[in-house]
Parts: sequence; C-alpha cells; structure tokens
Amino acid sequence: MWHVLRTAALCVAACAGVALWFGAGKPAMVQGMFIVSGLAVGSLYALGGIGLVVLYRATGVLNLSAGAIGMASVMAAWQLVQWGLFGPVAWVGGLAIGVALALFYGRVIAPQMAWREPVVKAVASLGYAIAILGVVSFLFPDEPRKFSLPTDSMAVMILGLRVTVTRLLVVLAAIVLVVGITISLNTTRVGLQMRALANNRSLSSLIGIPILRVETLAWGLSGLLFGFTGLMFGDLVRLEPSVITFMVIPCIAAAICGRLQSLPDVLMGGLAIGVIESLLTFSDTFKQVRPIAPFVIAALVLLAMNRGRRLTFAGDD
Amino acid sequence: MRSTSNTIWAVFGLALILLLPAFAGGQWVKIFTSTTTFAMAAAGAGFLYTRLGMVSLVQVGLMGVGGWVTLRLNHAFNFPFEINLMVAGAVTMFLGNLIALPALRMRGLYLALITLMFAAGLDIVFTAKQFPNGADGFWGVGTTFAAEMRRPIFAQSDAAYLRYTMLWLVIGFVLIELHRRMAPGRAWALIRKSEAAALASGVNVTLYKTWAFGLSGLLAGLGGGLLAGSLGLLDAATFRASESVMLFALVIVGGARFWYGAVISAVLFRVVPGLLNNWGVDADLSLVIFGAALLHAVMSAPDGLAGQINGAVRALFSGRKSPENKGAKA
Amino acid sequence: MNKTLKTAGTALGLMFVAGAAFADPICGANTGEAATGAPIKVGGIHGNAAPGDFSASTTAAEAYFDCVNANGGINGRPIEYLVENDQWNPELAAQAASKLLVDEDVVAMVGNGSFVEMSVNAGLYKEQNVMTMASACAASECFESSNIVSTNQGPLPSSIGAAMYMVEEKGSQNVSCIALTIPNSGPWSCGAVVGYMESKGLSGSGVYLNPASPDVNSGLLEAVASGADTILVNLPAGLAIAILKAAEEQGLGDAYQWASSTPLYDRDAPAALGAYWDGKLFVNTEMTPWDKGGEDSQNWLAVMDAYADPKDPRDSFSQAGFLAAQIFVDTLMDMDPADLDDRAKVTEAITAITGYESDLVCGPFYVGEADRHMPNHAGTMVVVKDGGFETVRDCYEYDSPYFAPIFAQEEALGLR
Repeated sequence: MWHVLRTAALCVAACAGVALWFGAGKPAMVQGMFIVSGLAVGSLYALGGIGLVVLYRATGVLNLSAGAIGMASVMAAWQLVQWGLFGPVAWVGGLAIGVALALFYGRVIAPQMAWREPVVKAVASLGYAIAILGVVSFLFPDEPRKFSLPTDSMAVMILGLRVTVTRLLVVLAAIVLVVGITISLNTTRVGLQMRALANNRSLSSLIGIPILRVETLAWGLSGLLFGFTGLMFGDLVRLEPSVITFMVIPCIAAAICGRLQSLPDVLMGGLAIGVIESLLTFSDTFKQVRPIAPFVIAALVLLAMNRGRRLTFAGDD
Repeated sequence: MRSTSNTIWAVFGLALILLLPAFAGGQWVKIFTSTTTFAMAAAGAGFLYTRLGMVSLVQVGLMGVGGWVTLRLNHAFNFPFEINLMVAGAVTMFLGNLIALPALRMRGLYLALITLMFAAGLDIVFTAKQFPNGADGFWGVGTTFAAEMRRPIFAQSDAAYLRYTMLWLVIGFVLIELHRRMAPGRAWALIRKSEAAALASGVNVTLYKTWAFGLSGLLAGLGGGLLAGSLGLLDAATFRASESVMLFALVIVGGARFWYGAVISAVLFRVVPGLLNNWGVDADLSLVIFGAALLHAVMSAPDGLAGQINGAVRALFSGRKSPENKGAKA
Repeated sequence: MNKTLKTAGTALGLMFVAGAAFADPICGANTGEAATGAPIKVGGIHGNAAPGDFSASTTAAEAYFDCVNANGGINGRPIEYLVENDQWNPELAAQAASKLLVDEDVVAMVGNGSFVEMSVNAGLYKEQNVMTMASACAASECFESSNIVSTNQGPLPSSIGAAMYMVEEKGSQNVSCIALTIPNSGPWSCGAVVGYMESKGLSGSGVYLNPASPDVNSGLLEAVASGADTILVNLPAGLAIAILKAAEEQGLGDAYQWASSTPLYDRDAPAALGAYWDGKLFVNTEMTPWDKGGEDSQNWLAVMDAYADPKDPRDSFSQAGFLAAQIFVDTLMDMDPADLDDRAKVTEAITAITGYESDLVCGPFYVGEADRHMPNHAGTMVVVKDGGFETVRDCYEYDSPYFAPIFAQEEALGLR
C-alpha cells in the first residue's frame, strides 16, 4: 500500500511539474481541459499495459501483437455493426475474435518457441502482428470508418469540458481491472498459480502446477484485455488498422512504468504518460513531438529502476 | 579447412562485387544497394547479440540518424561524401555509447526495451522533422524538390555506387572480424561467459560493453549514410521503430552467429519484399507471408538460415566428417 | 448508383447520371478496332499499403488506356501501361521509378498517386527528362518541381479554397488550420492558409499533429484555444473523422464553423461522420463533384463501367487519373507518329499543353516551361447533407499570395 501511494505521489508530482513548467500563465480551466483529455488517452495506454503485464507475468511472453489483436477485435466489431447486428452482440463478437487470436498464438505458436529467450519470443510476436495486419488490410480496403458506442453521446461536464461517458468508462475500467486482477491474483487458486509461474517456472512445474491450464487462461484473459483496449482505441482514437497495431509500443512504455510487474504502477504510469503528453501541447518546442512522452518517461523509469546498480551479473532472465 | 573456406568466401564475395552491379537492372541495383546498407546495420546487431548477448532494437533508428547527419552535412558544407559518412558514423557511434550506459546495468528483455524506447522516440522526431533536403535552417527541410546529394567521385552511377557500398560492407565485416580476434574479442568472450569472472580477471567491463555498442552504432550510421547517398533523400517511413524490431527479428532468422547471416537478414528485409512486389503479390498479402515465415523460422531454425547453410556447406567439404566440432567461423 | 442518385438533387443531375450509365465510352480515335502495332510504354506509380490507398488514380488511367487500345490506340499502336506500387516506402518508390525509367524506358509517367513517390523521384524525373502527369498528389514536391504536373490540387489550394469560402460567405475572421506536422504537407499547406488570411487583414494559425499521436483531442483543444472562429480540418480522411468525432463529443459543432480540405469529399465520409455534421461541415472538392454531369464526367463513368471492376472506386482520384490519361492520349494523337518512342519529344509535347478544357476540373489545364506547376487551383464547395454532399458554391478560382507566380505563368501563356 505504501508503495502504491509513493508511486501515486510521484506521478501526480510529475504531472503537476509539467503543468507548471509549460502551462504557467494558462487559465486553470484550460489546463483542466488538457488534463481530462490526457487521462482518457493515458488510461488507454494503461489498459494495453495491463494486458501485456498480466500475460508477461504468467507466460514470460511480451506480446508485441497485442495491438494487432485489439485492432482485429475492433474491426470485427465494426463489421458486425455494419451487418446490422445488435450493438452488444457485435462488441462481444469483436472481443471473441481477440480471445481467439490470443489463444491461437498462445496454444499453437508460442509453445514451439518456448526454448527461445524472452527477447526473441517478444520480437517474434511482431511476425504475428504483421500477419494479422496484412489479413485485416486485405479484407478491409482503405476507407474512412468510425466506431461508436452509445456512451459517446452521453456526457457530463467536468472542469468545463464536456466529457463523454466512454472516456469515463475507460478510466473506470482501467481502475476496476487493476483492482480486480490484483485481488484475484492474491486470493484465488489460479491467481496463486499465476504468481508461482511468474516467480519461477521450472519450480512451479516441479510442484505440480498445471502450467498449460494456467497459461491458457492467461492468454485468453490477455486476449480479452487487448480486445477491449482495441475497441476503446477504435472509439476514442481512430479506426485505422495500422495505427492501432503499432499503439502497442506506447503501451509497452506504460508496462515498463510498472516494471512489467506491478499493475497499480502500470495504471498510474499510463495515466501520467497520457496527461504529460497532453500537457506538452502548451510547449511550442515540444508540441510537435508530443508522442515522444511515453518513451522518455519509460526510459527514465528504467534508468531509475537500475540506479545504484553498477553491473549486472548473469541472472535468470 | 578454415583457410579454404575463407578463400572460397573471398572469391565468392569478389565475384559478387564485380558481377552483381554489372548485370542487375536499374531497379535491382537500387534494391541491392539498400540491401547492402541494411546488411551493415544487421551485422552490427548480430555481432552485439552473439558476442555479448545484448539486444539492440534501435539499429534502423540509428541508421536514420546516420542518414540525417550525412544529408545535413552534404547540404550545409562542401565536404566530400566520405567525410560526411565518417562524421555520421562517429555521431551514431557516440549515440551507441550513450545508449550503452543504461545497458551496463540491464540485461535481456529490459535492455532490449530501453533500446526500443530510443527507437520509438527517434521515430517520432523523424516524422515531425523529416530529413534535410537542402533548404535553409538547422532542420533544412524545404518544400521544393531536394538539392543534389553528392556521391563519391568514383561512384557516380548507380552500379558503381552499389560496388562502393559493397566495399563498405566488406570493411564492416573486416572490422568486426578484427575486433573478434584481438583484445576486445577476448574481453567480450569473457564477459559473455561471466561478468564476475571478467571483472575478476581485470577486464574493464564498462569499457568493452560501451565499445561494443559503439561499434554496432558505427555500422548502423555508416549504413544509414550510404542509404542516403543512394536515394539522395530519406523519409521517416524507412526508420519506424517497428522496422528496427523487424530487422532484429530477421537477424535471428538469418543467423547471427555467422557473418553471412547479416547478408541473409538484409536480403530477407529488402530483396524478398522486392521480389514479392515484382511478382505482383498484393502488398497486404506479402505482409502475411512475411509474418508467417518469420514465425516459422524462429520456431524451427536455432542458428537461423545461416546455420543451416553452414551445416550444408561443411557437410559438403568435409565429406560429412564430424561436422559439429569444427566451430562456427564467426 | 443509388447513393449517387440521392445526392444528385436536381432533375438535370438525374438526367446526366442516368444518361451516363447507358452512354458508350468515347476513347482516343474511337474506331472500335483493337490497336495491334508496337506498344508505347507508359509508366505509373501509386501508393497502396496499410495506411492508405491511392491506387484509384492509376486504375482510372488504366481503364482509359484499355479503352483507347480497344479503339484504335495511338495511330494503331496500343499503350502498354506499367503500374508500380510504392507501398508508401521511399526506397520502393525510388526502385519503382528506376525500373520504369531505366529498365523499361517509358516515354512518360501518367496517373501517379502517392505522397511519397513525388518527393523521392522529383529529381530523377528532371534528370531523366521525363514528364510526370500525376493525378493524386499530396506533397509539396509535386507542385513545386519542373517535371511533375498534376490534375488534382493537393492540400494547399484545397485548404485555401475552403478558407476563402468560409471568409467570403460565412464571415470567418480567424481560421485555425489543423494538419499533419510533416513539413512538405501540413506546415506547407496550412502556412499558405495563414498567408491568405493575413493578406485579407484577418488572422489564422496552424495546428500540427504528429501522425503517431493517438491524442487528437489535444490538437483540437489547441485549435479551440487559438481563439479561432473557424476550424479548417486539413488531414487524411481517417484523422479528420477522428478530430470531428472528438469535436462532436464536446458539442463544438455549433460553437465553431467547420470546413475541410478535399480528403473528406469521400463517398463513405458522410455515413462515417453521422447525422451530427449534417449541414455543419463545408468541404472543398478539388475535382468537380462526381454527379455534376458534363461530357467528360459521363465518359469517365462510362469508361469505368466498361473497363474497370465495379468495385473500383469512382472518386476524385479516379476522376483525376482519368483526366490525366485523357489529356496524355490527346497529346500523343497530335504528335508526329514517328516521334512517339522518343522520350524527349513526348516531354516536349506535354510541356506544350495549354488551355485544355474539361468539365472534370474548373479551370483550364496547361503545363508550360516552369519550375512549378499547379494548373488546378479552382474548385467547388460542398456541404455534408442527408448522407451525401450538396454543392454550395460552384467553380470558383482561389486567390492567395501563394498563387502569384502561377498567375504570372498563366498570363505569359495567354490564359489570363
């Protein structure tokens, strides 16, 4: 708990620092607008990061195809809506595609490269990403599309900015997911098994943890998270396959903020990244390179994580 | 045995440098030039990976920096091409060193991720600022077409320039090979085995790790500069972060343990898409073929395609006699 | 067809569109006999890969060339049209040009559509002394170099046209132009809009988005914070729709006036935008509206129906590609048949084109000796209405300091 509060304080301080530095002299109302706007994008980064971390902890795979899986989900959902399906059915259909794609990779492809080291496994998943991107681009010719949810037209006023329920929904979903997943990791049997796998895979298999079942569950869950993130990206960002596919890179930045481990840190890191990226609009120097924020922050976090360590000695990674 | 195979490779390489530019058409000369420049970057990433087990996912990004510096100098001053190229190499070598500093404290996936963050950052900057094309100002980007890019005096035509690029690639390979045979190579071997042991035996781990990253950056920068010389101008689309990841993936597929693995990686990176395009395969479907082939190679070829070729060649020359303990060439 | 009928609006439009479906295509010499002589090689490069598809231009040019080949060709010689895809990759673009110009030795390039290819190859075209009659240009190099001339307008004239309409008819005082931060596209075109506003004693500003940025909302907020009364969206359709969606979410549709450059003049755009933007969004079109009718417009649809796939788009890029091919064929037909394989002679003939009238564009098409070419700088303004578009201002010529050298060229050619 102490640790969570410390991260929260750090994130708030960073955001406030950026707001004061670049936004000095801007009315509080304008600042508020940019902060609220940044929170929505930040929670998208966080959602993607949560999926990546859940999967990485349980299976040791950092999945670069997360964006592509989410993209396939939202394109499928869009297509189902175009075919006249009832909204919720279409969304569930889209999510099902996400779960199916993740399970296919997890059960069919990933086991065959289990002998590779983590970096190679991560890099190879890019192959899956571009294959999915190729199929989707082939099936859906380039034309303007829009994916909407009914919550887009409902709104509340916060800090003078009309905030749609969808934007609130992503922030809320990210928080609920972090709390829910953390609790279930700590209280359920599967959660215990996942944590065991995350700590030491070979020992876990020796003591009889059903690795296959736990991994399948993790892949399915991550597919669901990627799918949901994809739907939200499609709604809040834009419905373009290549854009959503490569959104996985800033999501990795959010995951790094949680050291690929701590879900609350991923959430807070993601939100801070979103807010800072949005606030950089105030700076004439940086506004054209705003999207660099996730990478700079992630690099700083990585450096801070390893401060004081002079050298590495052969470890278990 | 070793000298025979070295001679064969040298003859083969020489024949390639002489014949390829003479017989390839205009389009293929361009494709082979790109391939050669990317082979330099791949060689850097491959040697870093096999010698030290360190992963650089920023090679293509550093190529972009090398290209940027080359173009910048070309349009700002009247230096000959080589000077511009050398300065570009020096800048990316320095950047490589800089990236190595956090790398000293990180391993495996985390190290790869910090290089990926660098690549993603460079991607954003390239998109926003693009590459100098002869206009005024520091960023030097104008709206009319690009000013002339000066090529080396003896490599004005596309075919001659391909030969010139191939010579640079050979220099790159020789550089790596020299390092491998001398003090840095021994230090790297020790570090790879155990950093503790290296430290205990008086190896300056910091220096040699930084050095390795610098060398890898140098190769990427030279590759980028040569690419700039080939095309005359560059575009951010070439240097996406995903391209850096893709090049590393192909280094694994090509086979990082062997020097010609870098060539195979670059051929997969540039020649294969060119072929698919020439055969009229839909651009989207080539992505699918490419992705599936990548997955398949990672699943099934431990030493990459170069490893398989090496096995076949050795089986041929040694009459299938003890192929396993000869030791890989590289 | 149904959609087209709905948007036609007038009885005249109905007649033309209905007529187009039955008209026979008219191409080249129109002999009805297939050309059998030695082919004349012509090249074309488009971009078609994950982020976008500009292939409509070469598809339409190809349809027209097929039609010409089936109708006597160029003095009995067919056109062999070689099309390459740059896949938005600058290296592939250079390779494609090398293949067409060096290996295939084409006499001209027609129907090019890309935002990468022209920037990469402009220098090569000059060096190779070949003329490129492009039709789907989006980057500055396409309009500011000696050997490329395009039938379409690109973002700069189209944005100025949109701003001009908003100023003259909607009383805009302060326009904020949102574009990509890529120097030869966004700052180039929005910079010219700011120049136009200032030349009228009004104010303007540019907001530049990094295409990698997921956060379009901050760009929108920046435009709002600039104190503008009119927001001009000058972005590729996908991003433009994302910006407008964010504006809709915040209920900004009525608080500001909205305009867009030509990318949103797309058949699918009104449906993707939704009813909220009905009557609120004014879009500039670089070619004449699809359903306006006219001889060439009808012929374009007839050729597409006869020689292209029913699924191929019939959009502005298709019109522009068709027009480029038609002008090119008409130019070749007027040449001495002995010169048709001589690239220098073909280049000379294309350079000599002047005062070519077509109802697919608002002004005359011309080339001329110059270091920049922008013959198409008059357009039409439409408004999003009832799931389609409705013309609000027909053919008007744009006015901005940027066009001064172009007007001077036209005076020299006797077109003004």
